[in-house]
Amino acid sequence: MSIIEINGLTKDYGDHKGNFDLTFSIEEGEIFGYLGPNGAGKTTTIRHLMGFLTPDKGSVQILGLDCRSSSADIMKHMGYLPGEIAFFDGMNGMEFLNFMAEMRGLRDTSLRDKLVDLFELDTKGKIRKMSKGMKQKLGIVCAFMHDPRVLILDEPTSGLDPLMQKAFAGLILEEKSKGKTILMSSHSFEEIERTCDRVGIIRQGELVATENMHDLRLKRRKIYLVIFDSSTSASRFADSSGFDIIDVNDNTVKLSILGNVTEFIKALQNYTVLDLNTETSNLEDIFMHYYGDKPHSASNM
Amino acid sequence: MLSKPLLKATIKQNYMVFLIIVAVLMLYLPIIITMYDPATQESLNKVLDTMPQGMIAAMGFSEIGADLIDFIGSYFYGFLILLLPMIYTIIACNRCIASHVDKGSMAYLLSTPNTRSKIARTQSLFIIVSITIMIAFITIVGLVLSNATFPDKLDINAFLLMNLGSLLLYYAVTGFGFFASCLFNDTKNSLMIGAGLPVAFLVIQMISDVGEKTSFLKYFTMFTLFDVDKIIGGQGYIPQFIALAIIAVVMYGLGFYVFKKRDLPL
Repeated sequence: MSIIEINGLTKDYGDHKGNFDLTFSIEEGEIFGYLGPNGAGKTTTIRHLMGFLTPDKGSVQILGLDCRSSSADIMKHMGYLPGEIAFFDGMNGMEFLNFMAEMRGLRDTSLRDKLVDLFELDTKGKIRKMSKGMKQKLGIVCAFMHDPRVLILDEPTSGLDPLMQKAFAGLILEEKSKGKTILMSSHSFEEIERTCDRVGIIRQGELVATENMHDLRLKRRKIYLVIFDSSTSASRFADSSGFDIIDVNDNTVKLSILGNVTEFIKALQNYTVLDLNTETSNLEDIFMHYYGDKPHSASNM
Repeated sequence: MLSKPLLKATIKQNYMVFLIIVAVLMLYLPIIITMYDPATQESLNKVLDTMPQGMIAAMGFSEIGADLIDFIGSYFYGFLILLLPMIYTIIACNRCIASHVDKGSMAYLLSTPNTRSKIARTQSLFIIVSITIMIAFITIVGLVLSNATFPDKLDINAFLLMNLGSLLLYYAVTGFGFFASCLFNDTKNSLMIGAGLPVAFLVIQMISDVGEKTSFLKYFTMFTLFDVDKIIGGQGYIPQFIALAIIAVVMYGLGFYVFKKRDLPL
């Protein structure tokens, strides 16, 4: 059974902002990464899932219930982390968590305390004075503390340091093993790569692709930066090799490689290589490389 | 029906402003009551006659009769009761819905198993009950003080009606504030209607009191429906009370409706 089902969702804000004829579904136990650059319409979709917005066209359902009209029923089984964190004025961390637990009618605090420990959250400080990362952690604890069946997380790791990002990834995998269904949005591929089973990519409000994470990795191109000892050998390498050269600049060659790198290493053996780097590919690069030949992806990414 | 934890949080958020306004009211009310002196009332009127009529009228002090009820009616219910609790209701109304939407904390409230209607009901109940408590407190203190300083001098019936009238007026005023709070996405616009409208009503009321030439303005302010002279005179106030009650019901109803139906940018 599909836990989250979006069917032909359209919300037009004009100027090609919003969501346009969006259709996808998320199965029980699936971790779905919702990927897109800023302003692509990720949050608009999430607002529909939360029942904050009424679609112009189409339907949005969670657990078989309409998100707009039955949102309070859906929320019994849902954990939500908003993209922008704002709380009540003047509360400290623990007061906020207690308040949210009361709003949910939640009595059992064992999971909450476990999460507070896991994220090393200081719950005594006033929320107003917390750092962005601390607020983010508070939001995460709040989203998970009632052991919900479905989780919607809007850019969950923004503001977290690498150690906490790792702790968060661990938490997601643990929840996955419990059969939870999770949708998390992100603008960074790396964030989603660690945890997600499937990825949906949205651009200018339209879903461009949904891909299995496994397939996506196979198709993934990596970008390498090779620094040669001289510009002549750099250009010689660029001319002679059959690789996909992106750029040659003085003694530096930038190229992209699909799949394994055996041929690449062999070809480099004939040269003096001063340095070899991989470039962390941002979402736009990945997008260009997976879907670069699609007509609308060319210019204004 | 209601969300108890939200009610608790809202009370915690607002009790300070509530207490401050009550404290200021309690500063004025005893002073005004004890200032009353039947003997000097005549001479006071003479002093008032020497001042520019327009200015005095604007403050609602125009027709001061000889009775204690006229005195309190002019000095307290002519102006202070319109201004001070209004400061509280403007703040409370804006905080109850609009500021949660503006700040984004509404996203948290709605991510719990509580419907929008339940949240709006809880917040509106808080406003209605708190302003009722405030007016009731004024009523009780007014009665006790008048009776202590001038036993049997106060027209209790008229005094109670005057308080009922101001309460109905505040139900209507908070109706506008609540509606604006439900309708707008940000505090700025919510305040423009929720605060701008009652303040404009008050200013128009003051100008319309100044004289013949400006008296037509009374048709442009809701505060005309709270007419102290009519209440003390015992005539013609019932239709006005009914009108205020209808405005209140309609505005609160509209507030619930738009908040339930509209898109929230959370």
